[in-house]
Amino acid sequence: MAVALTPPTPNRSIPPTPGPAVEAVALHKDFGPIHAVDGIDMALSPGRIYGLLGPNGSGKTTLIRLLTGLASATSGRARVMGVEMPSRENLARIGYMTQSDGIYPELSVWENLTFFAALYGQTDRADLLKSLEFVELDTRTGTPAMQLSGGMRRRLSMACALAHHPAVIFLDEPTVGVDPALRVQFWDHFHRLAAGGATLVVSSHVMDEADRCDELLFIRDGHVLAQGAPGELRARAGTDNLETAFLWFATQSVGSAGSDGADAEPSTTTTGSKGPDR
Amino acid sequence: MNARRVAAVFRRIVAQFRRDPRSLALLYIAPLAIIALLGWVLSSAQSTTAHVAVVDETGLPAGAAVAIRLESALDGQPGIVLNRSVADDSTARQMLKDKTLDLVVVLPSDFSLQNRKIELLTLGLNPAGEASVIPAVQQALLTAVADNAGAALPTIERATVYGLPTATQLDSLAPVVVGFFAYFFVFILTGISFLRERIGGTLERLLATPVSRAEIVLGYSLGFGFFATIQVALVLAFVLGRLEMPALGPIPAFAIGLGVRTVGNPLIAYLLVLVLGLGAVSLGIFLSTFARTELQILQFIPIVIVPQGLLGGFFWPIEQLPNLLQPVARILPVTYAIDGLRQVMIAGAGLSSPQVLLDLGVLVGIAAVFMALAAATIRREVA
Repeated sequence: MAVALTPPTPNRSIPPTPGPAVEAVALHKDFGPIHAVDGIDMALSPGRIYGLLGPNGSGKTTLIRLLTGLASATSGRARVMGVEMPSRENLARIGYMTQSDGIYPELSVWENLTFFAALYGQTDRADLLKSLEFVELDTRTGTPAMQLSGGMRRRLSMACALAHHPAVIFLDEPTVGVDPALRVQFWDHFHRLAAGGATLVVSSHVMDEADRCDELLFIRDGHVLAQGAPGELRARAGTDNLETAFLWFATQSVGSAGSDGADAEPSTTTTGSKGPDR
Repeated sequence: MNARRVAAVFRRIVAQFRRDPRSLALLYIAPLAIIALLGWVLSSAQSTTAHVAVVDETGLPAGAAVAIRLESALDGQPGIVLNRSVADDSTARQMLKDKTLDLVVVLPSDFSLQNRKIELLTLGLNPAGEASVIPAVQQALLTAVADNAGAALPTIERATVYGLPTATQLDSLAPVVVGFFAYFFVFILTGISFLRERIGGTLERLLATPVSRAEIVLGYSLGFGFFATIQVALVLAFVLGRLEMPALGPIPAFAIGLGVRTVGNPLIAYLLVLVLGLGAVSLGIFLSTFARTELQILQFIPIVIVPQGLLGGFFWPIEQLPNLLQPVARILPVTYAIDGLRQVMIAGAGLSSPQVLLDLGVLVGIAAVFMALAAATIRREVA
């Protein structure tokens, strides 16, 4: 994908325009000699769920941080709802559930939720209570977050990211530690949010969740290997298994992208070992 | 700047501390305990008696005469117990080592009427404690000289422009202690709190919201300013007030508070400490950038806090510092807080005093610089 590099020119006065909800143009992010994001182009349409799939260290989290303006690009552009990122004002329309829970352990469930919601200007108590009901923490409002189980903290973290009804939602490994029954409910809710017009970008290295996305982006070494609906990607790779499809696309890209090897780490459920993403 | 977001940060900090009683105890009980201990030690420092001997090594009749006059002058001096049975220098040295003597007045062998040199011999293990005996001995020497000259000594009375000549060490240390504690504890608590934001992932989460860096710093300043306010009020009340408790059953009578005598307006003293504390909040945020763990925050104590204690006028006046260190002392916020607090609490200066206004102005300036530094280190890019 040879696209001329455009220097980043943040312009916060650009009004939102109809078009892609999330857009990246020749996006690069270097950490010293490492190209964490190495020229990504994408345009994500409103009202759909996108899955970012790739092994740990493939650049998923860095991509999300560039799109939310938490990191500044080495070169290229990132736009959310037509507004060039980073833009502090635009963050009010974005929800970001980080990979770490990012909640205050001493504070109660309710205090965590109301704090983050207040930063977005959301103070509707009844509505906030509804977001707690959804993650099944409404009976735990007074419990300090440090006394919650890992899965409960994950659920609280999600409630904090969604309480202000954002138009674009980035979820970085949202279902880690969440039990299967609740995981199904989460995905049902994600689809309801998408039906309401929200755009969701969900990163995961768990392939069995990928089928629930409208569209997938296979990410490896800071590149998008392939983009398309799960069925379409399987068909193109000539397999009925997404894991095999990922490896097939990875091998395909070796010649053109000059990648350092085709041996992506396959396992039965994940494409990589557990650990913090870059 | 959005007041509701600042208020949200403020409320969050208050809520966090409400659920952390140990940190609150550090903030409120530790300073009181340390000040109480300091007050106890300083106000009832034991007055000791010094065992003194006069040794004549001259072997001259003139020397013996001088020794006898010295002995009679020393005898009966308050705090001095004279030992007349020490014969020579080596015996005296042994008795000093055995701690049966504290000070020996030696007329050395080269003493003569032309070379009237007298040695004061002490053990040398505790210079400060040994020196406390010397004024009494000097007084005795003066008396002996006066007797010799046949004229009475002038009496010396001490007066001070500010405060009372009888002011104790505690009276002059109290204002300093108030300022220093506020600075120390606020710095430690903010530094660690903000470090936890950085390493705990909540800062990343905060920066993904529309909150601005200035709003975060301001919210933090309000939150920790709130707790520092209570701390300073408590410490000031403890230092200035004194509540006598009568004996009750097996408990003997005791007093709560130090009852330090001051003349100034405590509100102005409070204002100085508050501005100092606001600077400490931002300094804590700023320095948390350079720490990766809580332990590394504690490593800033010898780098940031201790030099301020040594150079800020806590122990020695700035003017007595080596020339090279004086400019260093003059950029430390604690220096200005201590000077301002002494002006207010001992000299009774108010806001009309140019000196107090200067101190306050410099503290405001330092706090503003620290705030700007703190805001600059809260980067959206925390990679």
